[in-house]
Amino acid sequence: MPTPNIYLPFKTSIRDVKEVAKDVKLFSIVVPGDFTYQAGQFVMVSVLGAGEAPISITSTPGVSRDLELCVRTVGHVSSALNSLTTGDGIWVRGPYGRPFPVNGRQDTLFICGGIGIVPLRPLINQMMNTRAKTNKKATVTIMYGSRNPSEVLFLDEVAAWQDQGANVVLTVDTCQIESWKGCTGLVTEHFGKAKVNFKNSTAYICGPHVMIQAAMRDLSLMGMSDDHIITTLEAHMKCGVGKCGHCFCGGKLICEEGPVFSLEEIKKYNIKPGRDSLV
Amino acid sequence: MIQTYILNKNHLSFWLRQLKSAHELIAPWRDASGDIVLTELSRMHETALDGPALMPSPKEFLLPQMEQLFCYSEEGIEEAVNKQSRVLFGIRPCDISAIKILDTFYLGKNKDTYYETRRNKTILVSIACNQPDPTCFCLGLGTGPFLKSGFDLQFTDLGDRFFVEAESENGMSLVRDFPHIFIEPKTVDSEDLYEARLASQSRFEKRVNLEQVRKSIQAGKVSDAFWESVAVRCFECGGCVYNCPVCTCFNVIDRPASVDTGKRIRLWDTCMFKGFTRTAGGVIPAEAKIHRTKRWFHHKLLHWPEQFGVFGCVGCGRCAVSCPGSIDMATVALKIKGSDQTEEKEA
Repeated sequence: MPTPNIYLPFKTSIRDVKEVAKDVKLFSIVVPGDFTYQAGQFVMVSVLGAGEAPISITSTPGVSRDLELCVRTVGHVSSALNSLTTGDGIWVRGPYGRPFPVNGRQDTLFICGGIGIVPLRPLINQMMNTRAKTNKKATVTIMYGSRNPSEVLFLDEVAAWQDQGANVVLTVDTCQIESWKGCTGLVTEHFGKAKVNFKNSTAYICGPHVMIQAAMRDLSLMGMSDDHIITTLEAHMKCGVGKCGHCFCGGKLICEEGPVFSLEEIKKYNIKPGRDSLV
Repeated sequence: MIQTYILNKNHLSFWLRQLKSAHELIAPWRDASGDIVLTELSRMHETALDGPALMPSPKEFLLPQMEQLFCYSEEGIEEAVNKQSRVLFGIRPCDISAIKILDTFYLGKNKDTYYETRRNKTILVSIACNQPDPTCFCLGLGTGPFLKSGFDLQFTDLGDRFFVEAESENGMSLVRDFPHIFIEPKTVDSEDLYEARLASQSRFEKRVNLEQVRKSIQAGKVSDAFWESVAVRCFECGGCVYNCPVCTCFNVIDRPASVDTGKRIRLWDTCMFKGFTRTAGGVIPAEAKIHRTKRWFHHKLLHWPEQFGVFGCVGCGRCAVSCPGSIDMATVALKIKGSDQTEEKEA
């Protein structure tokens, strides 16, 4: 039997596109019923002619019928992607990468910076769903920082999480709008509002490198154990299957052995993506 | 089980012509500049087996410098897989060792269809090195100057004749039909083979112990100041990576021909270039040269052994030939070894 070709994407179509912020679009993509994935994984998305890029999955496994991707226009492929509309064809392969490890018993802290909420969204949704079904009421705190109020993504969902009992801390860097009810300043300045026992909880972090670095350092200093500080890393990838070498870092291929890593692993393997070291 | 034969040199051209009728025959050939390159051979007697190591390495015949993955049109995509059968004749034992490493990488987890198809259609005929180049250091790595296994056919030059070893069914298939020229070796042939091998081993100018270097790095004895001293000499030309028979990194791009049609290709890439790790947002993780040079050496000396149990280097010395800054594997390894020993003496 011939080996399936790992580089060939399958064709599907866009069911819906919503502009959720300036230059940020949320795509609902039709996928076959047997296309399964877990929170934290990513897919390689092609716009033929423009190229292929790794994109985090933001739909909740088992809940969402469509594959949802949230894309900000930054580079060549994302620009091409964001010019597509409902009904357009799109090529996908995956899912790839190691998903988030889930420890259901502990208190959970989510730290999201800007578009970094995208890979964490399915995990938050999953956790809120399980929480609603069971009696165990481990606390969930969601800290979400954005540049300004117009860039806060998924505001309605954030409100729903709050209604479901999550402790939500919203913050923006700068704000000229008087009606803004959240905080201002960096996420890391608001750890005092987190209401979690840092020594006995798990943190999931995603955002700009500088934020990840600062958040990991602070949480570690506040006594959270390194294997409970989880992040997901961004890297340049061309294949997603451990062959092209672009995401190689500290002896690890981020596409295969990540993109989810704990601070313990980051320290152990000396993984240093981003201009500054993470540890 | 290895079968052994003797092939008189006068019969080589005849045999190669027979191979060429059934396969694409790639062999070393001296081009107009005097360099020896691997190319499709048209005049059999012109094959150059006596020269220095081949530049560039045979990896381009398994992982072409530029290769089409698929073409696309309104109808969909169509994969492009090369199914031509091919004999790589006259490559070196280090090249075979490198191909074995490429095999573990490309044919292990997540098989690469393009590599696999080419590899299954390629027969490897190597020639043992009686005259290692000054840049060669395969001896310490066990990847040359001759091999005990891993080849389809291995030739050893014994002056007027070749000692031929066949290890695989593929190798046997090339000699089976010619019993009149592939004759049984006599005791004297085996004795000459032994002498040729001993002589070759004695001719190595470079003795490099990469295992010792690996241990030094692991023990934290190699400082960032040392890597900085290596990095300042790097011209970022990528020559070491392109010529390395083990380096595998590639880039993937789309080449549109019209609005709806075009092709996706992959091409060699090198981690020595600054843009290699640039993300869409503009962050370049390995921006400083020291990160890139250090990563290349670490990958070959630490991470390959961790993942695959072998070094990501076969001692072919091509990086020494191509590097304008003299920071090739052997030179850097010897520097690390030297500084480590000085430290020990001082302590």
